[in-house]
Amino acid sequence: MKTARLVWGYLRHNLMSAMAYRGAFLLQVFGMILNDAMLLFFWWLLFTRLPTLRGWTLTQVITLYGIVAFGFGAATVVCGNAFLVARIIVRGDLDYYLALPADPLVHLLVSRMSLPSWGDLVFGLLVFLIAAPGRWSSLPLFLLLGLLVGLIFVAFSVLVGSLAFWVGNADNLASQAINAMLTFSLYPVEIFPGAVQWLLYTLIPAALVGSLPAGLLSDFSWHRLAILVAFTAGIVLAARAVFRWGLRRYESGNLVTVRG
Amino acid sequence: MSDIVRYGFVLRTSARQQWAYRAEIVARAIQMVLFMGVFMALWSTAFAVSGQGELAGYTLVEMVWYLAMTETITLSSSRVFLEISEAVKAGDVAYTLARPVSYPFFQVANSLGNSAPRFLLNLLAATVVVGLGMRQTAGSPAGLAAFLATAALALLLDALIAVLIGLLAFWLEEVSPAFWIYQKLLFTIGGLFLPLEMFPEWLQRVASWLPFQFISYVPARAFVHFELKAVLQAVAGQAFYIAALSALVVLVWRQARRRLVVHGG
Repeated sequence: MKTARLVWGYLRHNLMSAMAYRGAFLLQVFGMILNDAMLLFFWWLLFTRLPTLRGWTLTQVITLYGIVAFGFGAATVVCGNAFLVARIIVRGDLDYYLALPADPLVHLLVSRMSLPSWGDLVFGLLVFLIAAPGRWSSLPLFLLLGLLVGLIFVAFSVLVGSLAFWVGNADNLASQAINAMLTFSLYPVEIFPGAVQWLLYTLIPAALVGSLPAGLLSDFSWHRLAILVAFTAGIVLAARAVFRWGLRRYESGNLVTVRG
Repeated sequence: MSDIVRYGFVLRTSARQQWAYRAEIVARAIQMVLFMGVFMALWSTAFAVSGQGELAGYTLVEMVWYLAMTETITLSSSRVFLEISEAVKAGDVAYTLARPVSYPFFQVANSLGNSAPRFLLNLLAATVVVGLGMRQTAGSPAGLAAFLATAALALLLDALIAVLIGLLAFWLEEVSPAFWIYQKLLFTIGGLFLPLEMFPEWLQRVASWLPFQFISYVPARAFVHFELKAVLQAVAGQAFYIAALSALVVLVWRQARRRLVVHGG
């Protein structure tokens, strides 16, 4: 309950701060929606030459983009620091969160909001509502899957960001891993060779934030949903445990920062 | 000291500075490996599904090499617009007025200097990855020479556009959205992800009038399908846009300086 209040409080506060520069906020949101929409151009042209791609139609690829954009957007709107975990650890900025009574990991994640990510969130929902067949009836499933995708993105980012506790400057490594996950998630997993597919279901779980949830929206199965829920729970718990484990090795920085 | 020597000095200094951050350059090369891995998988599947040996005049090998070349240029582009917009917001741009070089063209030279070492490493990474992945090469020595010449002009065009985006900070609170849109115009009608021959005819006509194709499509096509006449026409198009955008930079900078307000400090 206390954590929920903290998350809600930061969400409200960050949104109000963004509203102080409303023009810049709206520019970033609409810019990102346009940016995401232009990425679909490639698929539109490709599907004018091919009827399907290993069983994927244009509508299914658009749904895939919708779910990844919505989940990614939700993750970085609520947990805007998710992709900066390594940098925060390396710079010694964790001190601020450790000195306060709230859970340091949750506090660190939610204390920043990525403003352009509102654009991803809106784009994801819009393309789903425009493109997906039976969209209104499957909207609750879309939102649930978006939540699971968002949690996987955040947990994965915490896991790779926590490497900074052991290997020092892991900022670049973490960025590359997150970038790889996002890049691979936007393509149907079936186009990749078997070994790469296996990698995308395990080490870089891009298929679990892209192809698997998108597949559930066109061809639902309780079995695959259960796998996704179990994986999400597993990676969230693992991220939490690894961060706590790493925290024992954390040495405070001597950087003096002022927070408003 | 002539202007060319001054800007040449800025370019060399930025290139040496960039070389000092080799880890970042290597990170970009890893990105190249990642993107080319995805493209090789995607196009191998697309060609297999289509059952055709050629799509829009490109074989699978040519398509992958085409993409390797467009990615080499795009991943070498420096994000100089960030530096400019920060300088405008913080007011640091005022200190540059006393320098014996024009600030926007200083940034063009800076951008080119940043891009040069990245370009060489990206070209190397793309060649190794695609060479190993496809086990076949495309292009010709003449194509490679044409690619290097047109890619240099492409990076200059890209730098001019980046400077214009950065200068927008005089009017807009946030310039990143303008960059995202520019980047996606390169992805689409610039031919970064698909050669323009894949486009419907009306779109090809629109793209042929815009500067974006000169940044990615033109150099990559010159590499895989070298034709002297087409290359010379392309160079003329690049030169035209370089002149036009340089004039635009001068105009915008003149307007921007009028908006410059310096509050002590």
